[in-house]
Amino acid sequence: MREKQAISLYYRELFGALLIYILALYASNFIAEPMPVSTLRNLIIASPSIPALLMIWAIIRHFQRIDEYVRKWALENMGMAAAVTAGFSLTYGFMESAGYPRLSMFVTWSVLLGSWFVATCLRRWIERSQ
Amino acid sequence: MKNIVRDLRTEREWSQAQLADLLEVSRQTVNAIETGRYDPSLPLAFAIAKLFQLPIEKIFDAS
Repeated sequence: MREKQAISLYYRELFGALLIYILALYASNFIAEPMPVSTLRNLIIASPSIPALLMIWAIIRHFQRIDEYVRKWALENMGMAAAVTAGFSLTYGFMESAGYPRLSMFVTWSVLLGSWFVATCLRRWIERSQ
Repeated sequence: MKNIVRDLRTEREWSQAQLADLLEVSRQTVNAIETGRYDPSLPLAFAIAKLFQLPIEKIFDAS
């Protein structure tokens, strides 16, 4: 599959999954809000995780389609992002013991995506300037 | 590993994008091979050799 076709398909799958996720998020909030605390309510609140898995599936499918160098390059970027996230969560865990405010688990997810994006942009910029 | 992919490509007046299309890889991959940042896998090295009709060892130099 050609590069442009692969990227186009990836964006369609990823943003399609993102749209389903947003709809599921709003629907779960709308349904769960008036409900009393129960297992069913917890399951409804957690249900947007299922369409979130579709995004991961889109990323995995993209990795299977791209060529060997881009796959290696993208996985290296993801590895760097994972290292940054691990470093952040470990360090902040110690800071919480020192009295810093407790952060939501969603922060870890944001750090992972943010550092993945920064690593990708930075490496692309370095390679273009070579 | 050094290679002469850039020389072979420019001799034929192909752009990186054209070579990438012929090899069915991304332009980023062609650029990485030409600049020596990436040594291609054996199947891709064979595809490059076949395209330029040269033995692999004439294109890639391990020394």
